[in-house]
Order: sequence, then C-alpha cells, then structure tokens
Amino acid sequence: MTSYPVTTQDWGNYRLFQLRNAQDMRVLISDLGATLVSWHAPDRSGRLADILLGHAGPEGYENNGPYFGSQVGRWANRIRDGRFTLDGVPYQVDRNQGGQHHLHGGHAGFHQQVWAVAASDGGLVFSLQSAEGEAGFPGTLRVEVRYSLDDDGTLRMDYQAVSDAPTPISLTAHPYFNLNGGEADIGDHLLQIAADQYLQVDESLIPVARCAVAGSAFDFLQPAPIGARLAWPDGQLAIAGGFDHCYCLNGGTQALRPVAEVYDPTSGRELRVSTTEPGLQFYSGNFLDGAEGRRRYRAHDGFCLEAQRYPDQVNGPDAEAAILRPGQRYQQTTCYRLGVRR
Amino acid sequence: MSRAQTAHRIALLFNANKIYDREIITGIGAYLSSTRVAWDLFLEEDFLCRLDGIEHWQGDGIIADFDDPAVCESLRRSPLPVVAVGGSYEDERDYPLGLPYVATDNFKLVRLAYDHLIEAGLQRFALYSLPTAQGNRWAQEREKAFRRLLARDGFPIEIYQGLATSAPGWNSSVEQLIAWLEGLPKPVGIIAVTDARARQLMQACLMAGISVPQEVALIGIDNDPLARTLTRIPLSSVIQGAEEMGRTAAHLLHQMLGGVRLPATRILVPPVGINVLASSQHEALNSPYVMRARHYIRQYACQGIKTEQVADYVGVSRSSLEGYFRRELHCTVHQEILRFKLDHACALLADHDLSSAEIAIRCGFTSPQYMHAVFKRELGCTPREYQERQQSTPTLATRTQ
Repeated sequence: MTSYPVTTQDWGNYRLFQLRNAQDMRVLISDLGATLVSWHAPDRSGRLADILLGHAGPEGYENNGPYFGSQVGRWANRIRDGRFTLDGVPYQVDRNQGGQHHLHGGHAGFHQQVWAVAASDGGLVFSLQSAEGEAGFPGTLRVEVRYSLDDDGTLRMDYQAVSDAPTPISLTAHPYFNLNGGEADIGDHLLQIAADQYLQVDESLIPVARCAVAGSAFDFLQPAPIGARLAWPDGQLAIAGGFDHCYCLNGGTQALRPVAEVYDPTSGRELRVSTTEPGLQFYSGNFLDGAEGRRRYRAHDGFCLEAQRYPDQVNGPDAEAAILRPGQRYQQTTCYRLGVRR
Repeated sequence: MSRAQTAHRIALLFNANKIYDREIITGIGAYLSSTRVAWDLFLEEDFLCRLDGIEHWQGDGIIADFDDPAVCESLRRSPLPVVAVGGSYEDERDYPLGLPYVATDNFKLVRLAYDHLIEAGLQRFALYSLPTAQGNRWAQEREKAFRRLLARDGFPIEIYQGLATSAPGWNSSVEQLIAWLEGLPKPVGIIAVTDARARQLMQACLMAGISVPQEVALIGIDNDPLARTLTRIPLSSVIQGAEEMGRTAAHLLHQMLGGVRLPATRILVPPVGINVLASSQHEALNSPYVMRARHYIRQYACQGIKTEQVADYVGVSRSSLEGYFRRELHCTVHQEILRFKLDHACALLADHDLSSAEIAIRCGFTSPQYMHAVFKRELGCTPREYQERQQSTPTLATRTQ
C-alpha cells in the first residue's frame, strides 16, 4: 500500500488528482471522464517520462475524439447498427460511428461526463450515474471505478456497477501507451498476448468471425514487434489500417489473470496487463495521424490494450453474459503494471 | 491423397553454424508447428549450405540467406518462390530485386548498443568491424549506422576493421589490435559487429592489461552463448529478432505457395533487447546526473530546496538520484544540499557582521536553532564560536596590508 497522499489541483473547469508511489511514478487522473491524463514512470536508468498520449489541457478532453486515457461506457466498442434485443424488447442506441454503428457509449459516453471523486484508503473512487434512456440504453446505472497505484508500479482499476433495469454493460479504460515516452513510435515495442483466437471484422469493423491467430500477423503468443507485424500482408490489417481487433483471451473469465505484455527494448520499460475480462481490444493507433495532443501525433505513435466484453456481444451467442440485471453487480478488474527490464 | 504427396518441399539455404542462422530456422519451425503446415524441409545434414546443383533441385520453394553472395547469385533466376533473408541496407539499391526480403535492422542493432553505452556514461566510442568483403556486407552496414549516429551527436568516429582471422596471421593481428586499443583515449565504449569479434577484442584487452569495463566498455551483437562462455568477463550483447525473422519468412513463403505474389514486400525486424552483463557496466566517474544535480544545488541550496526538486530538475526519479549520489559522492542528496548551505553560512559568518538569525534565513535553514544544531554536529562549534575563530585568524588579505 502506498503511503503517499493523493493530491488535488484545479484544472480549468475540472480537477486533477495525483497518485504516486515509492518509485516516483506519478499518475494524473481527471474527474472529466475519470481520464488517465499522464503517467510518469522511470526507464532503465531511472529517467522519468510520460508514457501516455494525451491532450495539452482540459479543453482537449472536452472533445476527446481519440478517447485519450478515458473511461469508456456504458458500452465500450461497437454494437452493430446500434441495435439489440433484450428480453424480447428491441432497443436502438446512438449510432455515432459514421452514423451506422454504436461506439463507446454514444453521445452520453462516460468519457465526457464529470465523475464524482472520493479518496479511499490511498486510492481514488470515481463514480457516476447514467440515467435511464441516456444514449438509448435502458435502466439507471450507477458506476464506480476505483484507481490505486502500488509501489511495484501496478495501476489497478476496480469497476462496479448496478442497474435498476436490465442493460448491456461493458466498461474499459482507453489509455494510449508509448513506452519510450514519445521518442519514437511504437513500432519496435514487442507485444505478447495470451490469446489463441481473435475476432475478424468486416469493412465497418464489426466482428464477423472468431479465428485462430496461428499463422497470421495476429499471432502474439510469442513476443513480436508491432511495426514489423504491421508490414505483414494481411486482409484484416488492410481493413482496419493496422490492428483494431479484439482478442479472445485464454484462461476463461472471472479470475484476474495476466493477459498481455509489452516491452520497449530502448527504454527498457515493460507494461504488463492483467484482467478479469474475456476480451482485449488491441489498437495500434491507426487513426492518430495529425491528431493534436500534447504534440502532433502520427499513426502508430501509441497503442491501446482495452480489456472488455466482446464487441457487439449483445448480438452474439453469448449476449446474456453482457447483460447486467437488477440485483446483480457488474464487476471487473484490470491492472496495468509498469516496470523495467535491466 | 497421402500427406506426403501434398506436403510442399522447401529448401532452407543457411549456414546454421551461428546462433543467428539457427534462430531463424527455429522461427521457421515455430511457424510450421503453430499452423500445422507440413513442409518437407531440405537441409544439409551438417546444416551447412551447398549450392552445387541447387538449380536442379525438385522442390516447391526456398528460404535463403541472401547475406551470402553465392546464394544471391545462384537464386537470381530461380523459377521457384524464394524468400530472401539478410541484413538491412541503408541504400535502397543494395536490396535484391523482385523478391520478398526479411531483414535484421542493422541500424537499430547499432543504435541500441550505442544508446546503452551512452546510458552507461561513456563519451567516447569506437567500432570494431571486419575487413570489407562481399560476404559480410552487414558489417559495412553496421559501420554506416555507427558513422551516422556519431556524426549526428558530433562525436569523433573511430572504426577499426582489423584483419581477417587466420591461424598463421593470428599473432600479428592480435598485436595490431592491441596497438589500436592502446591508441584510443580512455575510457571508451566499443561496439563489436559480432560477439565473435567482441570476444577477440576482450582477449586483446586482457593481454594488454586494459581493464574491462573500466577503461574499455564492450558490447557485441548476437547474444551468442558460445562467445559468452569463452570470455572471462561476461559479454554484453544486442539480441537480434532472428526467430521473428524466421516466422516472418515462413509466413511469406506460405502465402506465395498459396498463389500470393509478394515481389516488393520488405520487412525489417528490430532487435528484441540487450543482454546487459559485466563487460559494458561502466560506472562513469562523473555521472551527468550528479553533475547536473550539483549544478542545481550550488545555485539553489540556500533557497530551501529539497531532494525532490533536485530530482525533478535532473529528470530522474528520486531513488535513482540517491543511488548515483551514494555511488559517486558517498552521501545523500540532502547531505549535499546541507553541505552547500553550511559552506555558505561559514562564508557569511567569516566576512560579515550578521546575526545568526539573519544568516540562517539567507542560507535557507528553517530556523536559527536548526542551523545551530547543524554547526554543532558538523563542525563541533556554534555559529558564534565559528565566527569568533575566523575573525581572530588574520586572513591572507589582512596580513599583506
């Protein structure tokens, strides 16, 4: 347990909260979107750098197109045509991806809400109420995310939610990492994902088939450099302009287990991801070209590993597992652990 | 149809006596086992590459080491699908035409070694290469990379190719290597283009009484366990992404066997890391962090700065800065700040008639009582006693008057 007090500062119309640990890591989180704004972490020789991508100030986060660092909900990722049927009732939710599909909670996305914040036992609890009918979803949903940072460099996110009516739910964090602190793109980062299968997508990025990763650019069972894999000839990479695909994680669900590792040989920094979720969306920053943030970003300047339910799961065979009903409690835990390899 | 009839016959043309080539073949094997693709692999029994009659070989595809000019030449007009594997080139025109090419990124290999030596605190660098030959164009590419990096950073460029290794010429080549080493200003960080080359260099250092890593910090390329066991001081080395190169080459050939044409595909594979061992763990006598920190402390010690602000200024974590201070100055950052404050207080007491309260404020002590305590602990007297002692001792200036 870290013994460093949480500190707070004003940030335009919002507030910034700082978690820190014995390694001098500093994580800044805003009440706007419960957003991970920056994370300073040491490299192999102790030099600190910000390993997250983000906007220069709070205004950037008010219109956060790339979803830099935010918490995403009530439904992370896509729902085909924004339509699903629940207990025989058809629903139409916001179609904010090119006017066709639902993406990341639509116009009531949690990334643009101001969350209530309370300190708790060395960590921070962010909470939010999402009203019945917001973005078209049924049920009033109460959501809570608890952040904590320990001295080993683990940023832990514990999610909980309850609803007064059945509703789909999938929550995730959307930080973009660049482990060399932005000195180069993420091409030389070595990625490993414990998944034998991933979801292939159609031209509009909606999953259409579950496929083995073996023999394709998507096989990260052994560590492989992201940039070199982007150069493999592959129809799925061509569709998404790179990786923007959900991996079906090995090892079942419910238990918190290690699912991915990323290593940057130059800085020596290493990110380890563990989660209770069944899916892990790997996004290689394909649409970052020209994005204005703390600097002008280019494609593949950052990557995301978003733990979540499967995209469009509400329209698939396992739809019920993505539904939260009154009396039940939605829970998920995801940890990002930053360290160095000497 | 039986499996034997449908399996593709694939030749692997490599000289697999080195770890790099063996790992490429390992990667090809890993790809085949992950996909359950059955290839009949043609490899010489001694894992060496013989090209005699390869044009008459009845097969379906070839993965070959294009660093070898003879391989390059004999496969130039092959009607079979061929995937080339080799080193990257700075000049586009050096790549073979019309073939998919999987490369180890020579520039990034050298850059990783160079960045590591910089991190270890070195400020002079040299490269130990190989005599220019068609068979080791990759060594010349590593020289180009080294030149580019040092020119970028404004360092003098020191490259020694040495002699080709031969039994009769061994003594004189070692003598010349030692002469080169002795002529280099020390301490120096040396990158060797292979671990085999690094091993020779280390041997020469030990013969000449040059200490590794204090005078010569050394890093090789390949992470070859054999070279490592033959060196007395464990050898640091850059690890190539050779297995991934093998997987990639197998995937490309697999696609081509399925009818996909990939004449312009080129995939550069970066290094996977460095194995940092004793040969490059140079401790610079003056860490740039400590120098920067002392520069800052000298300026701001009397304004009540704390360790944290010093670490922020230097841009390293507090715990690493404390580590550097312990190693180089045998004290903590706080003690160093205190020493500057104390020195300044002593100077004021000696030259001015100021009250201790005034001096405590000017020197950034939180109270006169605290300054009093520091004086007692560090100098064994109170500030007033110190002042009296100074003023009763005539200074050089007063004596000449």
